[in-house]
Amino acid sequence: MKAALARRFPGLPLGLGRYRLDQIIVGAVVGIVLLLLPVIDQNSSHISAFADAGYVLLLAFGLNIVVGYTGLLVLGYAAFFAIGAYTYAMLASPQFNLHYNFWIMLIVSALVAAAFGVILGAPTLRLRGDYLAIVTLGFGEIVPQLLRNLDKYTNGPNGIVAIDQPSIGSYQFGFNPTPYYYLYFVVIVICLILLNNLRHSRLGRAWMAIREDELAAEHMGINTTAVKLLAFSIGSAFAGIAGVIYASKVTTISPDDFQFQVSVMILLAIVLGGIGNLVGVLVGGAIIALLNFLVLPQASNWAHALGYKFGIVSLQNVDLTNYHFMLFGFILVLVMLFRPEGLVPSATVRAELHAEQEASS
Amino acid sequence: MQRSIRARLASCIAVASMFSIGLSGCTGSGGGGGPASGNVIKIGSDLPVSGADASDGIPTQNGVQLAVKVANEQHMIPGFTIQADSLDDAVNGVHNPPQGQKNVQALASDPAVLGIVGPFNSNVAQAEIPTSNALGIALVAPSTTNPTLTKGPEALELRRSNPNEITFFRVCATDDVQGPVGADYAAKMLHLKRAYVVDDNETYGKGIADQWAARFIADGGTVVAHQHLTPGQTDFHALLTDAGAANPDVVFYGGTSATGGDQLRKQMAGSPLASVTMFGGDGIRNDEFLKIAGSMANQVYATVASVNAAKLPAAQAFLKEYQDTYHVPVGSYSAAGYVAAMVIIKAAGEAVKANGGKMPSRADVLDQIRKAPKFDTIIGSFSFDASGDPTSKIISIYEAKSDVWDFLTQVKFGT
Amino acid sequence: MFDFHTLAQQLINGVATGGMYALIALGYTMVYGIIELINFAHGDVYTLGSFFSLTILALLPIAGVTSGPLLVLIAIAVIILAALLCGITGVLIERLAYRRLRNAPRLAPLITAIGVSLILENIMQLWKGTSPVPFPQFLPNTEHSIGGVIFNDNEVLVVTVSVACMLLLNYFVYRTKLGKAMRATAQDRDAAQLMGININSTIAWTFFIGSALAGVAGFISGIYYGTTFFLNGYQAGLKAFTAAVLGGIGNITGAMLGGFVIGIVEALTAQFLGNQWTEVVVFSILILILVFRPSGLLGQHLAEKV
Repeated sequence: MKAALARRFPGLPLGLGRYRLDQIIVGAVVGIVLLLLPVIDQNSSHISAFADAGYVLLLAFGLNIVVGYTGLLVLGYAAFFAIGAYTYAMLASPQFNLHYNFWIMLIVSALVAAAFGVILGAPTLRLRGDYLAIVTLGFGEIVPQLLRNLDKYTNGPNGIVAIDQPSIGSYQFGFNPTPYYYLYFVVIVICLILLNNLRHSRLGRAWMAIREDELAAEHMGINTTAVKLLAFSIGSAFAGIAGVIYASKVTTISPDDFQFQVSVMILLAIVLGGIGNLVGVLVGGAIIALLNFLVLPQASNWAHALGYKFGIVSLQNVDLTNYHFMLFGFILVLVMLFRPEGLVPSATVRAELHAEQEASS
Repeated sequence: MQRSIRARLASCIAVASMFSIGLSGCTGSGGGGGPASGNVIKIGSDLPVSGADASDGIPTQNGVQLAVKVANEQHMIPGFTIQADSLDDAVNGVHNPPQGQKNVQALASDPAVLGIVGPFNSNVAQAEIPTSNALGIALVAPSTTNPTLTKGPEALELRRSNPNEITFFRVCATDDVQGPVGADYAAKMLHLKRAYVVDDNETYGKGIADQWAARFIADGGTVVAHQHLTPGQTDFHALLTDAGAANPDVVFYGGTSATGGDQLRKQMAGSPLASVTMFGGDGIRNDEFLKIAGSMANQVYATVASVNAAKLPAAQAFLKEYQDTYHVPVGSYSAAGYVAAMVIIKAAGEAVKANGGKMPSRADVLDQIRKAPKFDTIIGSFSFDASGDPTSKIISIYEAKSDVWDFLTQVKFGT
Repeated sequence: MFDFHTLAQQLINGVATGGMYALIALGYTMVYGIIELINFAHGDVYTLGSFFSLTILALLPIAGVTSGPLLVLIAIAVIILAALLCGITGVLIERLAYRRLRNAPRLAPLITAIGVSLILENIMQLWKGTSPVPFPQFLPNTEHSIGGVIFNDNEVLVVTVSVACMLLLNYFVYRTKLGKAMRATAQDRDAAQLMGININSTIAWTFFIGSALAGVAGFISGIYYGTTFFLNGYQAGLKAFTAAVLGGIGNITGAMLGGFVIGIVEALTAQFLGNQWTEVVVFSILILILVFRPSGLLGQHLAEKV
């Protein structure tokens, strides 16, 4: 049972042969549960929260390529999310009275975001780690500010309203969150398969070679510039796709939605879950999304309910909303101090991180 | 190998338990606390009550919850207990439109909720109006003054699910009324001629600044410049030097105290603009402005898109009760939150009566809100026009006198 | 609207803000020079400085004092106390959050620093609330005029204190033993250790001094603006880091120069392009400098490869 499936069933499609039987079973069970989630929990606000977890996961996938696989520090990732969302919003809303098809725009926005990734990456990818982080942080600050100032095109701080919603044939998505949930589900599964195969391809190995030792990678014949640019642009493309679906679900976007806090949230998700590991990123993204959308908004109410149930007066009136940032901060610090490889680590990353620590002591 | 399976299982369990906490805890959770029993009517509220926005949201939420408390004490809906279900639309400390959308859906999925008070911010309203329109639940906003939410082509787009059904109402006047009133006062009563306009580049601030400036020009004044702040700006010296060179006799600030209006005024001290008048909207007419502006809290005028509650006898009881319940003085929008909740409660009461004492539907409540001839509230009497705006638009004008906002006059439109 | 007076006025504004950026940038540049960490939490230590000052001032009986020299004495006492407290905070942060990660890949301490920044901001939010807090302006602030150009005591204070701090720091780093230890550790940590320098204590002192300077900047900003706010540190920190990079990271004079340049650029942008473009311009400068001249204006060209 410990052997990868490919040993017994060579030629399995979609790269499934790489895994053991128990891994496939766990994956299938989780997949089926998630597929039936809107049926299990019919509360439409919950479904909406699960759907919104979708864009967090897509963003986490994209950032994982850049930070996790290739080891490039990017702090302003929300800028590409904004670019994807605004590209769609400007071309599919009353803003300019253009209404391009959602499905085509998915691809167009991804390409536009990727293009911006190349534009930002080309001159900056040769910088050392922290400098790149700060450059991307600066970019992340400039983009929302530009969106706010160029109000002739973007409608400034008011943002773009009444963005078109997707439709399949004659079925309109409307304001029901369930079709969006399934759309995210399908897109995420497709991305998972793509990313998994990418990770084990020559490009993926090149990425990880660069992460471990860029100089050595270059001397082994890898064109580090091209490979890093590819990481950047593919990562941005993911953000672009997330932006389109996000904009079509919430139907109104403004520069406020894409601030630094969003970049921190995604970084937190991949750090917590496990940098460089797809399953880890899934877990981390799910935890952070649910924390943000479901748990924290209700935390005070739950504390109150607990207080009433057990008669603890201090709980009945507590206001936990003022401790959110502290919670995130502590998660970041504690994870980096004690388990930097995350909850579901990738074996190589763990080896890297702990080897350094052992060497220093 | 063993370790990674264990780790993966552990995280699956963690996620699963998170799910189950979420699912079980979310049912029947209410801001008012206590379990629900039969014959309960709930008034939902969706306001930003965490992080930096909490200073806006919490006083308003208090107003809503006070209204529910008073309504229960006075048995305003016989046979029913009223509860408040208060949700937070701030994520990471900032009001978040998708969260607002989810909150409206959450409240709408509870059949006991007959109406929602909120939201506080215009961009959250842009996300919530389509949902409330599609689901047919009343959304009564205490403070969103952006006119495009109810008037014009944008408003029509927002309710494209049911274009002829108005589900969004507000109890405050809009900026296309407030701005011009202020400009008229500045031009005609204060005889000001040269204005330097600054706004905080947010929906409310930019909106009211644009309205004020346009009317000021129409009244014969000159707008020498129109500048926008950067988010979180705290240093206004360079801006004020630029303004000083332009020699204005009034500086108009579109925005709130939180986005810098108070610090802007404070930094005018010691600059060539130290003796120049400042004019603003309801965003600066609060105690925070007076506190921060300190010695410069004079020669500042502000409009407010509602009547002067302190002068109304009906409001006195409210102010006192608020102070007694929460041990702090009212916030800028506490009265608005109270009134918005009361609108829903009164409409629900009428709907119950019309329904023979039984639980009404949301459509009934919406109907009652739309066709009510008059709502008598602590901020005056009004009804809603065909767009969902209040018919009685009163703009009050105040002047800052060191540590208090002095009421000067009011201008009334409509009935 | 262009005339000499306005231009001179904007230069004064720029120099005043620049002085504060410079003080904060000194801390960034010192810490980066010695352990190559961008201390994200440094901006929040700056805000803490103004918060500490507020608390200390509330405890001192300054209400009725009008004598000039006595007020100056009080100001000096508050500066020293706030600087001390901030320095201790910096040392604590280094000890608890960064020391373990000294040899970890760059990503780890950077993320930890972001976490510390979030924690500090939340603490300050709980401490003084989510609205700006008035700062007592107890120092006399008379206006002076030279050739029609007006400036006041506060502006003089900011510039004087920042230049004085830079001179002190320069003397300290180049003329004292601890300073020499810092320079050695920055140059080659292992070699310095082999020469008998206590790395841990040297790094701790670096953090102490850098954070103390940020604390001084916090006090000054309270006086200059008359208010303080728990989120001040984020914006100011980013701009100060831009200043440090502009001047040449690791270079003390560079940090000073960079601070003043950024301050002046901001003021001139507000004057000529419009206030809404100041951020875009400053961060564009950051990106351009890092792309075309990463060593900054005064820095040596750092060879990256072996």
